[in-house]
Amino acid sequence: MSEVQTVENMVTISIDGAQYQAKEGEYILNAARANDVFIPAICYLTRCSPTLACRICLVEADGKQVYSCNAKVKEGMEVTTSTPTILEERRAIMEVYDVNHPLQCGVCDKSGECELQNYTLEIGVDSQSYMIPDTKRETTNWSSVLHYDPGLCIVCERCTTVCKDMIGDAAITTAKRGGADLDKGYKESMPKDAYAMWNKLQKSVIAPSNGTEFTNCSDCGECLAVCPVGALVSRDFVYKSNAWELKRIPAVAAHSSDGAQIYYEVKHGSIEDRTEKIYRVTNEWNFVSLDGSARFAYDFENRGADNTGVKKDSTAFAAALEAFKKAETIRFNAMITNEEALMLQTLKEKMGLKLYNPEVRAFQKFLGYYIAASGSSLYSTDTDAIMKKSDFVIAVGTALRHDSPALKYAFNNVQKLNKGAGLYFHPIADTLIAGFGKSVETFTHKAGLEEAVLYLILDLFADKEKLPTEVKAYIDSFKTTETQTITEKVEKTIKEMVLNEETGEEEEVSKKVKEDVQKEIIVTTNGLVDLLGGDSSKFDDVFAKMMSKKEAFSLMVGEDFYFHPKAENLAKLVALIEATCNMDVVMTPPKSNALGVALICDLDDTATGYTVGYNENGDFRLSALGDGDLDMPAMNQQEGTLTSMSKRVLPTNAALEYEGYELNDIVKALVGAPEHTIDWTQMLPVSKGFKALAFDTLPNAFTNDGRDNRGYVLDVTRQEVQLPAVEPFDQSVVLEGEIAYRCNPARQFNDFTDKSHEIFETFSLYASPAKAESLGEKVEVVFENGSIVLDVVSDAKMEGDIVKVPDFKAAKDVYGLFGASRYQTVTIRKV
Amino acid sequence: MSLEHFKNRNIGTQHYTTIDVGHTPVGAMQTFTQVAKRTVKGELFVGLWVTLREMINALFKGDMATVKYPFEKLPISPRYRAIHDMLRLLESGSYRCIGCGLCEKICISNCISMDTRYDENQRKEVSEYTINFGRCIFCGYCAEVCPELAIVHGPRYENASEQRAGFSLFEDMLTPIDKLNLQQEYDGFGAISPNADDNIKKTPLAY
Amino acid sequence: MEITLVETLPQAIHEVTAVGVIIKAVIILAVISAIAGFGTYIERKVLAFMQRRLGPMHVGPYGLLQIAADGIKLFTKEDIVPQNANKFIFMVAPIITAATAFIALSAVPVFPDFTIPEFVPLLGGVFVPSIASDINVGVLFVLGMMAAGLYGPLLAGMSQANKWGIIGSARTAIQFLSYEVVTGLSILAPIMLVGSLSFVDFNNAQSGGIGSWLIWQQPVAFVLFLIAGFAETNRTPFDLLEHEAEVVSGYATEYSGMRWGMFFIGEYANMITVAIIASVVFLGGYDADCTLGWLFIILKIAFFFFLMLWVRASWPHVRPDQLMWLCWKVLMPIAVVNIVITAIVMMV
Repeated sequence: MSEVQTVENMVTISIDGAQYQAKEGEYILNAARANDVFIPAICYLTRCSPTLACRICLVEADGKQVYSCNAKVKEGMEVTTSTPTILEERRAIMEVYDVNHPLQCGVCDKSGECELQNYTLEIGVDSQSYMIPDTKRETTNWSSVLHYDPGLCIVCERCTTVCKDMIGDAAITTAKRGGADLDKGYKESMPKDAYAMWNKLQKSVIAPSNGTEFTNCSDCGECLAVCPVGALVSRDFVYKSNAWELKRIPAVAAHSSDGAQIYYEVKHGSIEDRTEKIYRVTNEWNFVSLDGSARFAYDFENRGADNTGVKKDSTAFAAALEAFKKAETIRFNAMITNEEALMLQTLKEKMGLKLYNPEVRAFQKFLGYYIAASGSSLYSTDTDAIMKKSDFVIAVGTALRHDSPALKYAFNNVQKLNKGAGLYFHPIADTLIAGFGKSVETFTHKAGLEEAVLYLILDLFADKEKLPTEVKAYIDSFKTTETQTITEKVEKTIKEMVLNEETGEEEEVSKKVKEDVQKEIIVTTNGLVDLLGGDSSKFDDVFAKMMSKKEAFSLMVGEDFYFHPKAENLAKLVALIEATCNMDVVMTPPKSNALGVALICDLDDTATGYTVGYNENGDFRLSALGDGDLDMPAMNQQEGTLTSMSKRVLPTNAALEYEGYELNDIVKALVGAPEHTIDWTQMLPVSKGFKALAFDTLPNAFTNDGRDNRGYVLDVTRQEVQLPAVEPFDQSVVLEGEIAYRCNPARQFNDFTDKSHEIFETFSLYASPAKAESLGEKVEVVFENGSIVLDVVSDAKMEGDIVKVPDFKAAKDVYGLFGASRYQTVTIRKV
Repeated sequence: MSLEHFKNRNIGTQHYTTIDVGHTPVGAMQTFTQVAKRTVKGELFVGLWVTLREMINALFKGDMATVKYPFEKLPISPRYRAIHDMLRLLESGSYRCIGCGLCEKICISNCISMDTRYDENQRKEVSEYTINFGRCIFCGYCAEVCPELAIVHGPRYENASEQRAGFSLFEDMLTPIDKLNLQQEYDGFGAISPNADDNIKKTPLAY
Repeated sequence: MEITLVETLPQAIHEVTAVGVIIKAVIILAVISAIAGFGTYIERKVLAFMQRRLGPMHVGPYGLLQIAADGIKLFTKEDIVPQNANKFIFMVAPIITAATAFIALSAVPVFPDFTIPEFVPLLGGVFVPSIASDINVGVLFVLGMMAAGLYGPLLAGMSQANKWGIIGSARTAIQFLSYEVVTGLSILAPIMLVGSLSFVDFNNAQSGGIGSWLIWQQPVAFVLFLIAGFAETNRTPFDLLEHEAEVVSGYATEYSGMRWGMFFIGEYANMITVAIIASVVFLGGYDADCTLGWLFIILKIAFFFFLMLWVRASWPHVRPDQLMWLCWKVLMPIAVVNIVITAIVMMV
């Protein structure tokens, strides 16, 4: 979301004599970067708090030496980026960083993209003045994907910072190195900042924060991305390829609905195998953070059943055409581009086929209810705006850690950077989210009580003037007032006549005495808080503290709502909240391009007759997984656009070769179509907010100051409507007993993530440690209409008895088991 | 510059010396005298003597110019750039190549290709390495850029082949382990300069 | 004073039979052809040594079988006749060269007389003369045959429809015709001294040891004959007929394979003929009395042969105009003067 830069919030500063405009309250470093002025900095990460580890960003502001990553701009500030003393400091700092740094640049995986190397050359370190005995530091593997070489580490703490401030896992931290002490003589002879930096550096390394040798995190790999040297590398990538051999293909992460910017980095497989393969995924880590699926689930390309690449199979193609002519229904999922969705919609219009996509259909319906109730064609905010503005975030109906990594990052980032507060409502308690900040309150409510949550939000945040009276009355009906007698200690001054022994006279002496006083007060108990698993007696005080100095509020709404029996009422309540509270709303589209599909396709509720499945089960299967009746290109083999949660239409490019048929060929043969898939881009429905822009005109970059300039933002239209008439919440939908929750492990989203070799999360039942222990190793989960046998995996960050059943394998038809709800009462039997 | 200067093709120093070629005889008498003189002077026999002398030198004094090439070869300059050799470390016998990929990168004819991996000793290992000698132009950049002096140009210049593409593998170019004692230190392209010691400072950036 | 250098021929001990002559002819054909081939080997070797090279080395020991290799090559090479050539003449011309060269050899003493030993079946006891046909006008015959050899290159060059060939044949005509004069005149003086045109008479006239060699009496004639011999045999410095730097290959431009080989054999046969004539006429020939006479003549012939190679290695060749100038303005007058002086000396 592009922010409007008004004149009011801009200040004028001068850097090295030149005048620049900067946002008020911006750090000098960011202001310089936004204006394309170079200030060296190693440890600072945009969107994270300054760590002051490297101290190389030293500048002189108004005659005083400050760290530019930490000092904010003021009107008329004069900044000098280099003075002789600063240059001396910088040179000393770089020399210190080079002390004992192994000269193995030749084999290092950073292979020239190294910031240590760059700054050493930039600052011109051509001799070394310092020395100290080295400490033996062994390389370790922190997890199934993280590889750490402490010998190369310069302890800039970018990894720990990003993990804490952005990702929220805080899985790594600095630990003791056990290195030799610095020679005392250096304290006098060295520049001050360099000495301080070295003193700290010599004592620390990075280690998992849980005290073990292994991290227990979501394995997102963002620490690998931010590492300026070759210390942190993906285990899979170690010594595999030099960076310069890899060709960067700008793309969009395909699995979650975050729409994260990524680069697929491709190179030929080996000397014998010249077909290109994706070696790793990188990102513009200053501006976007990836989740584990985006970074590690990259090799899901369709190379056919025999893994030799897809060629045009004309018999299969003819069979596909026959199947389409015969079919009544096309079943597909959210893992398709906008263009493909438009093709399917065209087929529906011209051939009368049904489009069946249960996961997106629920979201589409919910969006429909919301649009009707709010008059706005889409929800009002996005992750980027939340991180930039919000200081109070509320998450309802979404397993934040699993459904939408970007929202989890935003939730966490608001706590860490915006001094924010947060409320997290979910039936499954998550210890990680509770630990995001001191001002985070979590409610573990019963499954089905989402309506009550929204009523509580209305109670807490709504402008009471705006609320319809019946709603106000309904909310008030949960409040009980009672008179309580409490004992207070009160200081009283008592005047006494005391006999003065010297004079023998009586004197008046005043004395302070503490006294218990019984007092009667009126206490209001909010029944909603208690109903949702909170403690109403303490909540008022806690909430008051959370609310101090808060200005911008955001509500995150997730998949639980779409699959809720009372989805329509929930949508109306969300619209009401948006209308009456000072609160933005963002909704998580379930997976990949669900928003695009929801906007473009006219989905049906049921599938009937002969079904063509696209990456789904069906009588005839088009599949990008290599196991269907006709091969289709996977998301990393095709170009097109995806619609992200941030309401952006993002262009993605083909990273790998694909020579087979695509959906466009089928559509061309059936009803006629333009030559290329991307010719559909400009035909996307303008009525739904899309723009008639050609694919090749779409920009795909971030600006210097970090503004997202990829693709375009959907137009949101707004109509004045009446406040929606909401219903009271329905306690009958509350589930009791053994409950299963349809939720994927953190890095799994679909069959494609499962296919990727760096994703290790299994298709298992996930439960809290206590529950897992009671369930044993393997269980059968019995639903009303079927059952599934799963291994039990303990998730240390879960609490409570609800278990998570993943849905990422389409073949297991977990959607069918759960039906129209995300929660189901089940019977779990040990196997 | 005027057009005249442009037209003057006699560039370079023009210090020609004229040798005494005598003068062309004028008239029958002069011609006769010249013929008579030349006849008597025996210049022709000087010519005969020269060839005979060379023959004697060649046959009896071993002053033969011919080298019977495939059977005997002239010693070759260490700076000559022929088929590559992969050197080993003299002390341990292990490969010098660290798999940095600079040769692959710098190769202007794109004939070097290598695969690397993370080996059991936590080191970078070159799992496969090949040079396509059909494409190699023997420019010597690979040897020059090699930080370890692992890839060097050897003295094997006979690289005629029956096919355009001629792939040589790492093992083909590597010094055989039993001939390690015969391994010559390379002093051609990219070798350490004789005055390298003078240039060494505390960090390697200076030289 | 009457000087009689010619003794009466010693009575032939053996009868010259037809069989002996045929055997001799076969020997000449076989040996000279072989020598012509071997000559190429020797030429390449000698030229190589003089240029400090090794020459042919790889076929056989010291490259000796190179001749065989070349021979096989020449025999197996495609015989190409140009489209516009006069085919009959084109095909006949090399035969003329080879044939005249060998016919010339029939009147020249090659090897001493010998009798086939008795134990050889069938031919045992047959006398083989040194000269296939000892005609009394031997010298005249040989010179005449060599002059007739002119038709080979001449016709070859004219028949092949190639401008280089035409130039080559033109040069053939002027060079051979002109130097025919010098050869004849230069050898006339020795003939006058010996008083016979038979080579046997020449040989016998010089049988009195080295002192009796005609070269001492006729040094000028010897030199003139040698120069003219070079020109007659188309050797450097007078190899204008097929000088590759000027006329590609002259008369032989379009020839390949064995036809070209016949020119080659003819040239080498002519070289041997000239060497033999020079040896017999000026350097004493073979000494029939001496047991090593045959060796001596071979050495003499070999020397002349070597001299031709030596000269080729040392000297550049001359221009056609210089060649003509040399012939008509220098050599011919000297030859005439030499004859006159010889005649005067003989008369006095």
